[in-house]
Amino acid sequence: MDFSFLRGYNIYFLTGAVNTVILAIFTVFFGVIIGTFIALLKISRNRVLRFISTAYIEFIRGTPLMVQLFIIYYGIPLPVPDVTILGMNMSRFIPGVMALSINSGAYVAEIIRAGIQAIDKGQMEAARSLGLTHSMAMRYIILPQAIRNILPALGNEFVVVIKESSIVSIVGIADLMFNTNVVRGALYKPMEPLLVAALIYFILTFTLSKLLGKAERRMRSDD
Amino acid sequence: MIEVKGLHKYFGKLHVLKGIDAFIQKGEVVVVIGPSGSGKSTFLRCLNLLEQPTEGEIIFEGINITSKENNINVYRQKMGMVFQQFNLFPHLTVMENITLAPTKLKKLSKEEAEEKALGLLKRIGLEDKATSYPSQLSGGQKQRIAIVRALAMSPDVMLFDEPTSALDPEMVGEVLDVMKELAADGMTMVVVTHEMGFAREVGSRVLFMDDGKIVEEAKPVELFTNPKHPRTKEFLAKVL
Repeated sequence: MDFSFLRGYNIYFLTGAVNTVILAIFTVFFGVIIGTFIALLKISRNRVLRFISTAYIEFIRGTPLMVQLFIIYYGIPLPVPDVTILGMNMSRFIPGVMALSINSGAYVAEIIRAGIQAIDKGQMEAARSLGLTHSMAMRYIILPQAIRNILPALGNEFVVVIKESSIVSIVGIADLMFNTNVVRGALYKPMEPLLVAALIYFILTFTLSKLLGKAERRMRSDD
Repeated sequence: MIEVKGLHKYFGKLHVLKGIDAFIQKGEVVVVIGPSGSGKSTFLRCLNLLEQPTEGEIIFEGINITSKENNINVYRQKMGMVFQQFNLFPHLTVMENITLAPTKLKKLSKEEAEEKALGLLKRIGLEDKATSYPSQLSGGQKQRIAIVRALAMSPDVMLFDEPTSALDPEMVGEVLDVMKELAADGMTMVVVTHEMGFAREVGSRVLFMDDGKIVEEAKPVELFTNPKHPRTKEFLAKVL
């Protein structure tokens, strides 16, 4: 094993890791927006809306992320500018984020739905018995409690996205995985760069879960 | 004050309430007793439409609240409800639990609501708990706070759904005392309970329910000492 290449190539791993984190942040951000919307459809009283959200969730969870990525990247022509920001080409980055957020949105929707439905139904009944409307009860009673269930699970989703996002390297987004492959190709070293990538992924996800665990404990002790 | 006409309730195929007619006068304390599964809680929950009646009408203060034209939220403000499981809002302090509905529904300003809440808390001796969270209270304290929360809306009638059933035995007394005081103040109350002592002492009328119907109703003295229906006799023989 020889890791001396790191002296010359560390910048590849560094920018790759930064890009992976940026990709994950955008994905979780849009994933939460999509997921909230889908979750609201899922708990609505309208059967058609419920069907649409169920179909979305089941389809996304039942098909591989790589297929979804290819459908969006190759199948849907998007009017995106051919500019490069932070070493990432937007004509690749934007479809990549789209595919990842559409995918993550289905999982986030389930997290949010579960978080809301985990609230004891007596809470809604007590709120309604006082004369609050359904939407007031949601806003003041149900959602503030549901958010405590949802936030830790969303943090986990962020960890998952950091790992899963490595798939976008195959459409040429300069994330950590892509840059690792660049180094492997340039040096004809198949193994060592992968170990470096694995270590960086692990440091990212492990630190993040530790931070989340801490935040969660602090939130619980506020009760 | 509340008139119930031909009330039926189905849960799917299960026929839970089989034609109930009842009338609750202003100032009355009506106690509903009966075996588990007799439909007493469902009956009570139909009064403020927490359960939607399948058939029949609920007339509250002269208004048919089962009619879709009437906004139930307005009438629920005048019908306080206390639950077996307390259902305090765990993310809010005691004070916020009590003042939430009056302020959000714009019945009172924040200051007025807090002043009123403090007054009510003093009456039940829990004014020092105003800034506590529900998880820091005992079961009996939670239920007394839940009663105060309902009272903060100045309701015309209070509905109690087995308010002492989830409590440790030594805490039942403190909750019943608050309810007795409330009755003495002339509050109209409908109470579903297994506390026969309370029914006898405080009730102005007792309804005995079995199998989705009101089998017998009478003044407590009469019903407890001289029950007429064989089902009532059987039930009382078991619980007394």
